[in-house]
Amino acid sequence: MSLLRIENLSKEYQMGDNVLRALDGVNLGIERGDYVAITGTSGSGKSTMLNILGCLDRPTSGRYILNQKDVSQMDPDELAEIRNREIGFIFQSFNLLPRATALDNVVQPLIYQHLPRAERIRRATEALQHVGLGARLDHLPNQLSGGQRQRVAIARALVTKPSILLADEPTGNLDSRTTIEIMRLFDDLHAEHQTIIIVTHEAEIASHCHRIVRLEDGRVAEDRRNRELA
Amino acid sequence: MLLFDILESLRSALRSIRAHGFRSFLTTLGIIIGVAAVIATVSIIQGLQFSINEQFQGLGTNSIIVQSFNTFERRLQGIVARISPSDFELLSRVEGIATISPIIGGGGSQLRYGSQVYATQITGSTYSYQDVAQVYMKYGRFLSDADDITRRRVVVIGETVRENLNLPENPVDEYVRVGDEWMKVIGLAEEKGQLFGQNQDNFAIIPYSTMRSIAGNQNELDMAIQLTLGNLDQMEAVQDQVTALLRNAHDIEPGEDDDFQVRSSEQLTDTFNNILGSVTFVMGGIVGISLLVGGIGIMNIMLVSVTERTKEIGICKAIGAKRHQILLQFLFESLLLCLLGGLIGLTIGYGIGLAASAAIPDFPRAVVPLWAVLLSFLFSAMVGLVFGIMPAAKAANLDPIDALRYE
Repeated sequence: MSLLRIENLSKEYQMGDNVLRALDGVNLGIERGDYVAITGTSGSGKSTMLNILGCLDRPTSGRYILNQKDVSQMDPDELAEIRNREIGFIFQSFNLLPRATALDNVVQPLIYQHLPRAERIRRATEALQHVGLGARLDHLPNQLSGGQRQRVAIARALVTKPSILLADEPTGNLDSRTTIEIMRLFDDLHAEHQTIIIVTHEAEIASHCHRIVRLEDGRVAEDRRNRELA
Repeated sequence: MLLFDILESLRSALRSIRAHGFRSFLTTLGIIIGVAAVIATVSIIQGLQFSINEQFQGLGTNSIIVQSFNTFERRLQGIVARISPSDFELLSRVEGIATISPIIGGGGSQLRYGSQVYATQITGSTYSYQDVAQVYMKYGRFLSDADDITRRRVVVIGETVRENLNLPENPVDEYVRVGDEWMKVIGLAEEKGQLFGQNQDNFAIIPYSTMRSIAGNQNELDMAIQLTLGNLDQMEAVQDQVTALLRNAHDIEPGEDDDFQVRSSEQLTDTFNNILGSVTFVMGGIVGISLLVGGIGIMNIMLVSVTERTKEIGICKAIGAKRHQILLQFLFESLLLCLLGGLIGLTIGYGIGLAASAAIPDFPRAVVPLWAVLLSFLFSAMVGLVFGIMPAAKAANLDPIDALRYE
């Protein structure tokens, strides 16, 4: 049984008189523990794919089954619930809450789960320790380096124990040395059987993944195992 | 679960208010000023009302005051309205009255003692005036009936008069010159201090008949008459009788207006309270407008704040915030802002009330009634809710993708 399955999924945008078909009948299955890169040039439908996989957006047609639940027609609050419990987001620009400390940032998704305060703090602290930031709990985002901020974001994504870690160009704003560190962290998480999907246009990043899905004009142009690692 | 969301929203609203300390203060300034204005006004007026009621309590509920009354137009036509000594004699025959005191507020007159000269207000009345004016004796006695009947040349004075005439501590049995007459001081009243900046110890009271006999032209005399009733039930009957007698005596045709006023002390208090009530009402209206303006200010800043935090809202939505959780957070932020503003305004307003009543000599102490406190809090909360709901709804309904992309 796949962790997630996409069946004949399409997404259309109305652009004036024209209909723009960002995704055009995509079929895709992702297994538990997969380490997948979704690549493609800009305009290939990567971002749309990411938004739908992350339950931020709904497809125009087709089905999206996540953990045996059809999420393609859920209402905004149900989607929020799915995002909260099933998906951990990692963004290119980190997207931390600027006025909250590292700990408070990681605690935030647990608040939406109605966890008691002590439990939240315990789990958030654990998650931050897991990404190597146990000593920086009380720092504000602007007191942290780019790599550290991304680690906070990863901790925030992991703290809810999501089914999927969904990363959007996670190293796009980082220098090469930090990029290597962050990718090593992803590799480690994969080794712990975390399902990871990375949306990227960089071949270097994609090469870390075990499976590479290349989109072109809203269709899957290529879906292959990473031979170097296999 | 909702309770949990409410508590968490409160927590994050507090954090946000603290994070923007100065801006939060400016935002809520409108509410602060509005509530401070309400409380200051209400506390001063309530203090006034309180003390006026206390003042009139001395008159007793069973008393009636008869005074001349003239409209401005009639005065311009040269028509004079007055209550004369013959009116007083007429009214003393009215059935149902227990006591009747004439009060002649003679104009100022000069008092002399030794080489000291002092001008003061001279009132002519009888022994029953003691209750009306609430004059209590420190030395000597008040006027008696016999003083009036025999037109004794005696005078009761207040402390200010004694001081200014350099009379001894106990001035009883000293002689002072009132106008052209020598009069014996028979009593010194206890000190009362000031009310509304008016010295209450600056007076001299002589017997009514003495006053009449020394007042030059009796026809010009205008006086007031105070009646007390034996039985409160007769209030209306006595008022009607007095009105009828006076209309007859003054030759007032049916259809013409009275040239006098017959009012019970209760009516008098009511009149004062009515005036104060309408002042409160008008002030309330002005203050309501200022609170409205304050509310619009809050809505404005909250809308700015939503726009400014669009990205944060997007982040929160991406990590699983539901619409009502975002809604609550912003709603509580404006609610808390307003309540904090209300609290600060309340303190400032009461402070202003106290300061104002302390600055005016012998002005009654400011009193803040509970209803004003509750009302301003309720109003603040309502302003917070009403003007917070639109920004909060706007925040809650943001599309997560658009919000995340917002820079």
